[in-house]
Amino acid sequence: MSLAGSLMTGLMLAWVLGGTVWLLTTRTYRITQVGRFAMDLLGFPVELTQSLFGRGGVPYALLLPNMAIFGLFTFAPMILNFYVSFTGGSSIILFERPWVGWEKYGDIFSCENFLEPRTCENAGYNFFTGLYNTLWFVVIQVPIMCSVALLTAIVVNRDIKGRGFWRAMFFYPVMLSPVVIANIWNWVLHRKGVLNETLDGATGALNALAGLSGFDMVMTVSLAVILMVVTERALRSASEPSTAWTGVFAVILTLLTAWANPLSLLGLSGSFWLGLALGLFLVWLVASGKSAARTAIMGAAFLAAVMLLSIQFSTVFDLGSYRPNNWLVTPNTGWPFFWLVFVFCWSHMGFYMLILLAGLQAIPRDLYEAAKMDATRPWRAFTRITLPLVMPTLTVVIILSLIRSFQIFDEVYLLTGGGPGRETYMIVQNIYEVAFTDSSPDYGQAAAGSVLMAAIIAIFTFGQLWLTRRQSDL
Amino acid sequence: MTDQTHALELKQIRKSFGKVDVIHGIDLAIEEGEFVVFVGPSGCGKSTLLRLIAGLDDPTSGDILLQGKRVNGIPAAERGLSMVFQSYALYPHMNVRANLSFGLENMNMPRAEITQRVDDAARLLQIDQLMDRRPGQLSGGQRQRVAIGRAIVREPVIFLFDEPLSNLDAELRLQMRVEISNLHAQLGNTMIYVTHDQVEAMTMADRIVVLRGGRIEQMGKPLDLYNAPANKFVAGFIGAPQMNFLKGSLAGRTVTLDCGLTKEVPLAEEAQGPVTLGVRPEAIEVSLDGAGDAQVKVQNFEQLGAITYIYTAFDNGETLTVQLPRQIPLTRGQSIGIGIDPAHVHLFHGPEERALGMAR
Amino acid sequence: MTMPHGHSIPPGGPMRRLTRFLTRTSGRGDSAQGFGVTDVLAYSYLAFGVLIVLVPVLWTFFTSIKPERQVENFDTRLLPYSQIEEEIAGVGTRDLWIFDDGTGEEQLVFKAGPTRSVTDVATPENPDEVFGVPRETLEPLEEVRVAVENYLDPILKRNGQENFHFATYLFNSVFVTVVATLITLLINAMAGFALSKYRFRGRLTFTILIVATLLIPASIILVSLFFVVWSFGIFGSLWGVIIPAAATPTGVFLLRQYMLTIPDELLEAARMDAASEWRIFWRIIIPLSLPALSVLAILSVIWRWNDFLWPLIVLISDPSAHTLQLGLTQFAGEFNTDFHYILAMTVVTLLPITLVFVWLQRFITTGIATTGLK
Repeated sequence: MSLAGSLMTGLMLAWVLGGTVWLLTTRTYRITQVGRFAMDLLGFPVELTQSLFGRGGVPYALLLPNMAIFGLFTFAPMILNFYVSFTGGSSIILFERPWVGWEKYGDIFSCENFLEPRTCENAGYNFFTGLYNTLWFVVIQVPIMCSVALLTAIVVNRDIKGRGFWRAMFFYPVMLSPVVIANIWNWVLHRKGVLNETLDGATGALNALAGLSGFDMVMTVSLAVILMVVTERALRSASEPSTAWTGVFAVILTLLTAWANPLSLLGLSGSFWLGLALGLFLVWLVASGKSAARTAIMGAAFLAAVMLLSIQFSTVFDLGSYRPNNWLVTPNTGWPFFWLVFVFCWSHMGFYMLILLAGLQAIPRDLYEAAKMDATRPWRAFTRITLPLVMPTLTVVIILSLIRSFQIFDEVYLLTGGGPGRETYMIVQNIYEVAFTDSSPDYGQAAAGSVLMAAIIAIFTFGQLWLTRRQSDL
Repeated sequence: MTDQTHALELKQIRKSFGKVDVIHGIDLAIEEGEFVVFVGPSGCGKSTLLRLIAGLDDPTSGDILLQGKRVNGIPAAERGLSMVFQSYALYPHMNVRANLSFGLENMNMPRAEITQRVDDAARLLQIDQLMDRRPGQLSGGQRQRVAIGRAIVREPVIFLFDEPLSNLDAELRLQMRVEISNLHAQLGNTMIYVTHDQVEAMTMADRIVVLRGGRIEQMGKPLDLYNAPANKFVAGFIGAPQMNFLKGSLAGRTVTLDCGLTKEVPLAEEAQGPVTLGVRPEAIEVSLDGAGDAQVKVQNFEQLGAITYIYTAFDNGETLTVQLPRQIPLTRGQSIGIGIDPAHVHLFHGPEERALGMAR
Repeated sequence: MTMPHGHSIPPGGPMRRLTRFLTRTSGRGDSAQGFGVTDVLAYSYLAFGVLIVLVPVLWTFFTSIKPERQVENFDTRLLPYSQIEEEIAGVGTRDLWIFDDGTGEEQLVFKAGPTRSVTDVATPENPDEVFGVPRETLEPLEEVRVAVENYLDPILKRNGQENFHFATYLFNSVFVTVVATLITLLINAMAGFALSKYRFRGRLTFTILIVATLLIPASIILVSLFFVVWSFGIFGSLWGVIIPAAATPTGVFLLRQYMLTIPDELLEAARMDAASEWRIFWRIIIPLSLPALSVLAILSVIWRWNDFLWPLIVLISDPSAHTLQLGLTQFAGEFNTDFHYILAMTVVTLLPITLVFVWLQRFITTGIATTGLK
């Protein structure tokens, strides 16, 4: 029997026997009070503390089990991490490990150029590849997930039907395990999976549509009608343009810009982004109640009409044949990374949405009613009421998701295994592989990596706390 | 100090929370069967004092004696007291019966006796129909009764009440006041009752202890406190509407008030210097034709039928409230004459505004 | 409905009425009457989001009830189709096909030879009368059938599917989840009680320590936790998974915050009622903290049921100690091509937690939103 096993058995025996004797001598129990006796026995150490040291000793007894586990399995390992990172060899008996000083750190920092993992030796190459991938992942994923979560929370917080249903639906993926999520998405993203199939079908359908005679004409006319209606609606309200309709207008504008591709005249690509920027700018103008909004919408409508006339829809929608994409395996496409971010957001967004929703619901409704009485624009209400008041919650959410996504492992390991190549190789995977899957595990190396990772997370967390020090309520 | 044992005796009790002194050395003895009310404004230390007696807090220094036995450091449950809390503190997840029997079960009392006591208490308080309900399903008054019932079943030597009526509406408060008085008459136990409401103190107490800032200002029978307040604070605290206070100076037995009035007062001893004259609203006589000691202007008045309250002001701005036991015709701004009976005035003097003795 | 323009009293022409009809929705999303464009945007956003959430899961489910052949061919039709077989005298069991000779007349046939551009077929009634038909004229004769064997084979260890020890995995997962949750609830509640209802030396220090642990990511102590767990001798056993994470800082914090709202007078009343501190804990505090405790219970169940990395490290070497998650990983790794089995077992793994969610969803979401982390 192991050390811990015999210790635990001894403790249990002492607890049960000692407790029974003590309880039966100090109190009387009837036969029917077995339940009460069991509970008293469970809390026997607390009872004993109270009778020995009075009420003052009780909180320490209550804290003991929790703090003991914290101490042994959280704080002690934290300290131990430093020690292990200074030792070498593959022994798992602590005092048999030789002291090697800074060697393990030296192995990691063996690079000629720290920004270029290729110039490092093996340990450093793996570490820095993982580190940069993880940093990229955090920098891209956290803002996306937090904004999607905030947006979803705001939408769900609206006065909509079936609020509970929507909330539950968005939360559901949080309940699923990484293995299940990986299997599901592996199947969806398979080369012959449903995503490729759907895209293939959509391409086929669009091609078939574009091939119809008169398609150009029909598209132009119907888009022109839609554009007119939307413009009219956006400008209809007597004093100020409507934000929501301007949003719809912006979407159409973006699409038209992307299709008309005006930048190609200058030999540049990226018309879509230009359109998106234009649309967002327009929405911002209207939402913040700028006086130029009305003129801007009319100008944009004119621009849209010109672009509409220049578009050859039959070529826009003629996409050619679709080649199925091996989403998670093809190197140098960025898709594996993209799907990682996507799946991670997919599976975690609901949790942060719920927390943000709680923050939003804590904002008194009267504030919005008062703002409405003051004729506040929705955007202004958002930036001046919602955002400041939800900021403490948002800070908590950002910090939690930051810490969480720094540790990404399960999803990567199961979806891509770090591949293709090392495109999605994350830092926790590096630690895990160095310590647990190598034929000669290098615990010192892994511990050194952990210490460095802890330092980086600490910098990020405190940086975030410092940036939002006024709002944080952690 | 006699060697007779009191139901409760406090000796030089002090209590401080950190650096803040809340109780500054209180000496008090309470006799068997007495109904004592601690009264004072909020923050005067009356609740803290009660918690020290109950054993929920320990005094920083001083002794607490229950029936002559020192009980410092003895846990609350073993002092044989029971307490009715301000919020009632009924266990919300237990029904009324479980609420009443919880304490008795903890003391390992035989089940038959528990049932006996709980049923007796329920009958006494007329809550027998509510035994299976939870506190959340009871009205304020019913909760109050259950809280008292929980105190009764333990058959304590002393009942402690911590502002038990402050969460009730005015009508219920009146009713429960009477019931608690009746209960005291019925059970004959010693009761200590904390309140900030002087009406409760006046109506229920055998003896009132007025506290301020952690010190006892005065203790005595309700009417003694009313008729002979020891200082200006007690005079102002006891009685509603409040006693009128007029500033002035004393020379011998003659008071000259700032409002212009001069009065001969039956002082036991002659004295000099600035004083405050206190006179209760019902000790002032009014004449509509302007006769009397002085003229005041009517600012406002309340006709209650049996009683009329008149709020008046002197020319120098000092106000005077008058309570008349009859109806009179009044208009705002009207000048009326007032008469103050020197036999009913109080004079307060010195830094602590102690009352000067009268020859009565 | 108020008209935004003062002059627009409709003259009543048909065209006018049409435009009014087309643009009738109120332009202001915040207007009380009608269904504004913001509502449309909101609902489309929600519907789109739910589609993204649900489609992959439903797709997995629908695939998992398809027969092996349909899955292997990546047949993306929604319903599970399987080809009808028939026992043909003198030939054996063969798949049935529909032969359409171009005249619209259809005939049931089976393939009498290998599939070529002109395939030899015969009718079941006349198995000896073989005739050649073009391959494109043959359609499989199919019926809708739920492929329960995808589930039953691995669970009952039939058809060579002996590597998924479902009962063992399920037991291990349930054991870890239940025991760990019970321990977590008990010790976290005790700690939360101490930190919320007692004044004692070191209270602030303990609270700060616990909040600090909230910010320490588990994966940075992976290596040294392995050393600690190893030296305690619980490495490789389920206890090595249960114990280290039992003292959750989130739980302590959540319960402490909740217990702060329980009035102190209740505790004092209980003390007057001669209840010991431990009895106050389980007779007063525990029943009154049930809302927070159940939220923590749900969180703990989610964490433990879905836990992956730490069980992977601690339990991987002993297949009899694998949890469902580990078993499923191993299974998916070994049989990379048997998607019908993998997906069926995936559904089996996600089913318990889904059922719990469907049963308790309102409670879970409102509970986490109101009590969770705030």
